[in-house]
Amino acid sequence: MSIIDLKGILVPLGALKQIAKEPHTIPYPDKTKEVSDRYRGFHYNDLELCIGCGNCSTICMNEAIDMVEVEGVEGQPGDSGLRPRVDYGRCCYCALCVDVCPTGSLNMTKDFIKVSPDPYDFLMIPGKDNPEDKDLISFTADKDTSLNLFDRVPMRELEPETRVKSFAEVFLGYTEEEARIEASRCINCGLCTENCPVHMHIPEYINAISRGDDEAAIKIIYDNNDLPEMCGKVCTRRCESICSLQVRGEAVAIRWLKRYATERAENADMIRKIVNPEIREPNGIKVGIIGAGPAGLTAGYYLTLKGYDVTIYEAKKDPGGMIMYGIPKYRLPYDSIQKQVDYMESVGVKIHFNTVVGKDITFEDIYNQHDAVFMGIGLQKGWNLGIEGDDAEGVWTAVDFLGKVNAGEPVDIGKKVVVVGGGDVSMDSSRVSRRLGAEVVQLYRRRIVDMPADDEEIEGALEEGVEIIEKAIPTRIIKDENGRLKAIEYVRAQLVKPEGGGRPRPVPIEGSETIIECDAVIAAIGQKADFSLLPKEVEEALEFVRGKIKVDDNRFTGYPKLWAGGDAVKYGKVDAISAIADGFYAAGSIDEYFGGKAPKSSKHHV
Amino acid sequence: METIITKLNEIFNVRPKILRDRQITVEVDKNRVSSMLLYLKNQMGFIHLNHISCVDWIEEGQFELVYIVWRPEDKTTVLVKTRIDRENPEMENIDTIWDQAHTYEREIREMFGIEFPGLKAPREFILEGWEGPPPMRRDFDTRKYAMETYETRPGREDAQNVREYITKRTGEKVPDFAKKYSRD
Repeated sequence: MSIIDLKGILVPLGALKQIAKEPHTIPYPDKTKEVSDRYRGFHYNDLELCIGCGNCSTICMNEAIDMVEVEGVEGQPGDSGLRPRVDYGRCCYCALCVDVCPTGSLNMTKDFIKVSPDPYDFLMIPGKDNPEDKDLISFTADKDTSLNLFDRVPMRELEPETRVKSFAEVFLGYTEEEARIEASRCINCGLCTENCPVHMHIPEYINAISRGDDEAAIKIIYDNNDLPEMCGKVCTRRCESICSLQVRGEAVAIRWLKRYATERAENADMIRKIVNPEIREPNGIKVGIIGAGPAGLTAGYYLTLKGYDVTIYEAKKDPGGMIMYGIPKYRLPYDSIQKQVDYMESVGVKIHFNTVVGKDITFEDIYNQHDAVFMGIGLQKGWNLGIEGDDAEGVWTAVDFLGKVNAGEPVDIGKKVVVVGGGDVSMDSSRVSRRLGAEVVQLYRRRIVDMPADDEEIEGALEEGVEIIEKAIPTRIIKDENGRLKAIEYVRAQLVKPEGGGRPRPVPIEGSETIIECDAVIAAIGQKADFSLLPKEVEEALEFVRGKIKVDDNRFTGYPKLWAGGDAVKYGKVDAISAIADGFYAAGSIDEYFGGKAPKSSKHHV
Repeated sequence: METIITKLNEIFNVRPKILRDRQITVEVDKNRVSSMLLYLKNQMGFIHLNHISCVDWIEEGQFELVYIVWRPEDKTTVLVKTRIDRENPEMENIDTIWDQAHTYEREIREMFGIEFPGLKAPREFILEGWEGPPPMRRDFDTRKYAMETYETRPGREDAQNVREYITKRTGEKVPDFAKKYSRD
């Protein structure tokens, strides 16, 4: 043993090599621990992106998530206005809520440290109470990892070459299997119902379809829509535009699912058996309805169920109004309307066809013979083009043209047709003209993307060979010596953003005049109502807004015992489902007005 | 690989299948599990027990136990599978073959409710004070259990139902016969 214990001196010095190393401990709170990239800590919710569908709350197995009102968040169609609040005493950080979030607004973060003596502190509204976590997002569910199914089951349809040969229905409808799969995509949040004018019970009937209870679905559908098969085929489906799945994917095919369910009831008897509506005892109150369109039929049907004695007066020989005479048969076959009307007649709705009010019976007669009157007369007259020569023979309005074709009357439009307009009616006119064998050019003053028509209709028209000329304004009609249409002249337009903002305005480009020779011109630029059936004092007493009757929320006109609805009324939009809503709410209002009791005379004042 | 398959087939009259490269799966009656595992360990060199796993085949009324063993020489894995009855499930304890097996067995006992008679340490594993049904069984209703077992923190009374909240705004009246199809 040496005098100096060399080993004893050197070994401790070896520890000096640790001096430059990072310590394993962390000087919290100056520094936080780095955790893995997909760590699941507290949630962070993008309050702007979130639509308050509540899917996170529904999926949570620990009941840790509540949907609550949050200051500064306003509800609107497509957003409930509620936001999730998480109870971190219950949350197990499984992140299922993130996996099922349809918008992708809900994520989890790397933040997991929170110390507080107050237990209420652990109720947190992600995104509001922890804005600083925005930059710490770790666990997310993108479109591929999300548990939502973002792709719609495609609808089978006829090939364009086959379609133009006849008026056979274009869309073939879902099979049972397709419908079940499509229905199972729905998260049943119910946001869609807000955009539906009549607020159909959409999540309930879709859920019934996904469970295989088609009859229950039919019964739910008929609760506030008496023409659902029509809606299932041709509705403007505003519900789908706010579906929670369309934020990141394709909306649930609500319209096609309604079509699937209602078509399961193959005839009026089956509808009657399945819907099995409760019909109140007759109360003896008589309600007269002018027009058997969607508005009139709906008011008539629901009033009949409430025990009223309903008579509908219809000028044409068939029921349905615009859905019969305006919508082409390849979209909505005749049998489909007839089936639904047969059902309504089976519960007691009386319809007098070929009865023109103002000719076969006067408005005063109807008004005096009934305790209440509902008017759903629609927009019967198409607007003329309002350009030089638009009185030429061979120039049609779309309403007259489609009405004649749908009534089965012979129509001569020749070999080449020019359609003017960009709405659904213009698409109908173009596609019907193609089916009549004509070559079709469609003029629209703005771009195709600006067209108010349904995208599906535009696509269908293009597939069928309709040529659409964008930014084209018709300027004059050229006649031959007999006063017959020879050609139409149009100018190209450029779109100019107005100074005050708003939709770009088409401004004609000088010198761009072009002439198209054609055999027929169809103007599909809007319709107007014909109020000539109204007696002078009634017309004077009513209030009109831009050519339409003004009504209140109950569709009451302000004139004693007169309600009105449908396209001829200024309320909501101009489409079939709005007309159904008018009829439905007017029926409710009329029932409320009579208080469900049976007065013997018609002396009612409002 | 081929030797393993032939040998197991000869001795136990089973049909092992190649799952993928260096992975063999074999189904065997529950009474022959321990003898097969012993054979694999002592005669074939599968000295390591990787894991014991359990699958709930609720529709068929069975549990499936999967014993995963491994041989270091050629890094081959064998999955020994067996089915047992879901009613009063019981399985032979193998912690005499591999000591560490009792950890897996205790976990399965707690999560699936399968008894392993003679288990070295049959006390609770991780579910302290658990009185509910075994939670990994597929018929375990997590939400129901959570609601019955844990009280709701005060301050959550303002929670809204999204569907009802929207119907209040729109005036929609959901009929009673439709309500059973509404989301909870």
